[in-house]
Amino acid sequence: MAILQTLITVLYYGLIAYVAVILIWNFSKTRKWEQEVLYIIVLIPFLLRLFRLK
Amino acid sequence: MTAYAGLVLAVMVVVYIAAKLFKLSTELAMFAAALGGALAGGFGLPARHIAEGAMTYLDINLIFITATLFMNILKEAGGIAFVVRRIIGRFHRSRALLFVLLTVLLLVPGALTGAGSVTVLITGGLVAIVLQTMGISRVRTVAIVFIIAGLSAAAPPVSLWAMLTAAGVNMPYIGFFMPLLVPCVVAALFTIFFLGRRSGEIDLEKALQELPAPPQGMSWLRVAFPFVVFVLLIVIGRVWPHDTPVVGLPLMFLCAAAASYALSPIRLDFLRISRETIEQLLPLIGTLTCVGVLVQIMTLTGVRGLLAVTTVTLSVTLVFATLFIVLPVSEAVLMWGAAPVIGVPLVLLFNTMGLNPIVALAGMSVIWPLGDALPPTAIIGRLTVDVVGYKDAYTRFLKSCIVPAVFIMIIGTLMVIFSSELSFLTGL
Repeated sequence: MAILQTLITVLYYGLIAYVAVILIWNFSKTRKWEQEVLYIIVLIPFLLRLFRLK
Repeated sequence: MTAYAGLVLAVMVVVYIAAKLFKLSTELAMFAAALGGALAGGFGLPARHIAEGAMTYLDINLIFITATLFMNILKEAGGIAFVVRRIIGRFHRSRALLFVLLTVLLLVPGALTGAGSVTVLITGGLVAIVLQTMGISRVRTVAIVFIIAGLSAAAPPVSLWAMLTAAGVNMPYIGFFMPLLVPCVVAALFTIFFLGRRSGEIDLEKALQELPAPPQGMSWLRVAFPFVVFVLLIVIGRVWPHDTPVVGLPLMFLCAAAASYALSPIRLDFLRISRETIEQLLPLIGTLTCVGVLVQIMTLTGVRGLLAVTTVTLSVTLVFATLFIVLPVSEAVLMWGAAPVIGVPLVLLFNTMGLNPIVALAGMSVIWPLGDALPPTAIIGRLTVDVVGYKDAYTRFLKSCIVPAVFIMIIGTLMVIFSSELSFLTGL
């Protein structure tokens, strides 16, 4: 059970990392400043979780 | 203290209006209002609180992202087109049955993802083609897709308004399934039968010509199996709660998405679908993140307490009598932010009155989506108009929504007023 729970936690970190990468990718591709700002705001919680700051 | 909080609130409102006048999106306008409130409250730019607020709805954002990814993979694999074609091929002679099945098709994507926009994008366009080949005018088709898309967002298992408000009052998101499902299904069926009452028999040949063809090899098994995986994961967790690890909705949706991807008869570009999903969801996840920051700053400055106390001391009759207008208007201005800002104090009020907060919140959740057609945001309304290809006046579309909207407002308000009597729904 403990191993499974650890595996699930790792999967969630993987998911967070994947979404963060896609957000950064989309941020680099967009040409609208409003979307750029929004991508940065949305990225904050993903990075905080990924680096285990929150 | 009241004057201080009132002043901060006034600054927030002014900054929000100014930001909208400068044509900023609603998400950024809310973020600007939060920053303005923090500055006016004497906290400068509180980085810790901004980070804290941005984190609030991370879990809900993950649910949206994975659920929409699942739906998009299913659509790209041709699963949705396959289902629509099979349904009209099999049931084209029975108008009533076809209406019921089309309603289900419209309800499922939004119910799973919590976003009406996903319903419009995944099944809205295809269902619109079918409705128009049944002789339903374009304006009524837009109204049907919009209203049911809104209801799908309020439908369980993922109802954003209910989740956000419940989180705001520290109430677990449990017992909402039937209180949300019953009004959503009843109102959706009323909408399609009322607006489609003058329809004729479907022009099957024309419909099949206009609908996209599914890829070779697509089958019911390939469409149904990912849903089976999803339901199985939920059931296992509920039947053996102490013997199974907590998987969580995002991972359940991810498993369903993986199953859908693996079973797709055509090769799918997972990375492209992921990028498009995030782009498609940016307004929604952006709103949730900005709302989190806004609510955090409101709490920091005492504005949230001021709103809560003011609402709790309002006349009950006034609250009941204005719910039908306050909720859609707040949705039109703050989008999903209306739930933590307006919904939380209202649920606190209903709780102190002895009403059932779950049923009352479910009733409110049914009314909120109506605001998605109203300016200044009108996100889902405009999206539906675009997807269905409606070119006429926007006000005509709004007019065609009136009767179903009034029906939904009545249902929602009655659910709030008689929430105690309807509390049996929470146990079903």
